[in-house]
Amino acid sequence: MSAVRRTGLIIALEIWLPVLLVAIWWFASESVNSVYFPSLRKIMTAFVENWLDPMSLLDNLGPSLQVILVGYGTALLVGIVAGTLLGLVTPLERAVRPIVEAARAVPGVALLPLFIVLFGIDQEMRILLVAYGAAWPVLLNTLDGVRAVEPVLLDVGRVFRVGRVRRLFRVILPSAGPQIFAGARISLAITLIIMVVAETVGASGGVGYFLMTAKSEFRISDMWSAIVALGLLGYLLNILFRIAERYVLRWHRLQQSRLGGAS
Amino acid sequence: MTIQTEPSARADEAPDAASTPRRLGRLSWLLIQTGTVLLAGGVWWFASTLFPPSTLPPPAEVIARLGELAITGGFWVAIAITLGTFALGLAICIVVGIPLGLAIGANPIGAGSTRLLFDFLRTIPPIAILPLLLLVFGAKFEMVLVLAVSGAIWPILIQSIYAARQGEALLAEMSRSYRIPRAWYIRHIFVPGAIPFVMTGVRLGTTICLLLTVSGELLGGAPGVGFEIANAQAFYDNTRMYAYVLVAAVLGLIVNGGFWAAQRRLLRWHPSVRREQHS
Repeated sequence: MSAVRRTGLIIALEIWLPVLLVAIWWFASESVNSVYFPSLRKIMTAFVENWLDPMSLLDNLGPSLQVILVGYGTALLVGIVAGTLLGLVTPLERAVRPIVEAARAVPGVALLPLFIVLFGIDQEMRILLVAYGAAWPVLLNTLDGVRAVEPVLLDVGRVFRVGRVRRLFRVILPSAGPQIFAGARISLAITLIIMVVAETVGASGGVGYFLMTAKSEFRISDMWSAIVALGLLGYLLNILFRIAERYVLRWHRLQQSRLGGAS
Repeated sequence: MTIQTEPSARADEAPDAASTPRRLGRLSWLLIQTGTVLLAGGVWWFASTLFPPSTLPPPAEVIARLGELAITGGFWVAIAITLGTFALGLAICIVVGIPLGLAIGANPIGAGSTRLLFDFLRTIPPIAILPLLLLVFGAKFEMVLVLAVSGAIWPILIQSIYAARQGEALLAEMSRSYRIPRAWYIRHIFVPGAIPFVMTGVRLGTTICLLLTVSGELLGGAPGVGFEIANAQAFYDNTRMYAYVLVAAVLGLIVNGGFWAAQRRLLRWHPSVRREQHS
């Protein structure tokens, strides 16, 4: 009984402020008569129209999901492979360090015109831009994680004559796992930013396209509905990410709690 | 035989790998690094011969254009605006985010009440509100500033909340038993303990702040380096566009370097920095 009450209290504690703020928004936007801030009721109506109807959902969200899945997936793959390579081969890393530092410092969005020139205005260009911009955090975190592997673990591996491949997959990558996931989380946020930006040019669908067209055609409620949709998309992707992280790193959490890290 | 030779060979390998960088010396590494940069330039040059010159100009042409631009006032104004917007945005995030985060994190009720809210707000791609900001502020520097702050504040705020909760319980209890005054505790124990965690957030915030500053200028048409890139592209002047992309890269390098210098100063006492300096 007390456990139920405790859970109830925790939920109440976490939920009172968001509920209060939404309520304030609801009532304040009803009374304020601003062009740019339509009432929440209108936004919700527009949201249902644009983002819950299966047909329009496919138009508005389909291309974006493609960019996210393929672009982010490529970024993860390239980032982890290149990061591991550079992390293991120290001389190589030192030789290419100036280039890595310069390339990762370019804000991904600044390369949009360049990618348009090189690859044309289409879906592939968007995927490549997302892949490029999102690969850096994964790459750099993988590099750090691979380098920071506990030397004792490597020594033990050597003593037991664990082969190179096995050592990579059973010792080095798992121990770099938490770092890699931290990088992948940043990459996810960057993926969404670059996706929206890339969709504002020459797209015929997708969230970014919808957002910018609604703005230029002065459909303010529709524009707000796209902001809400992007917020929900970001939140859902983050939840999926957390589930994946929890699954892949479950050994890590177990180990943490066994070490008495009950924080 | 093999049993004996193999481990010894491996044992030789390890110290070798560790000492290689030192044995080669700083100068040789600098030469090798210059070599790779030149090699990259060579790849660029080679690629430029494959594409029509208007799409991918050779590096020499871009550098020459960069030199021409560097003697114009507009070039430096654009850089100053971008760097200024970025710095102001980051400063706002730090001044607001760190104290707020530490205060929320130190208070369990505060942390609980804001967890769900911040978790949701944090995941909204900040670029989503760009059209709204454009309508409200117009294509001005305020628009870019609000955009940058709305994105960069989250990592700083969230890491600060986390930092306040990471404080060593032992230190807190000890301070209480020794009746250490509250102000002294905050100044000498709580804040130094939190800084390493906070710095992680500031590093992420720095990257995101610059990304959003340039994005806002590029998409929103507000003055700055981002606008110059978009503008050059609109005139099909690809050489100028590449020159400004290079500028954006250099800005990124400067900002990154500035962050590491600041962190090294702030965390002089921290093991991670001390270890780095020793090696």
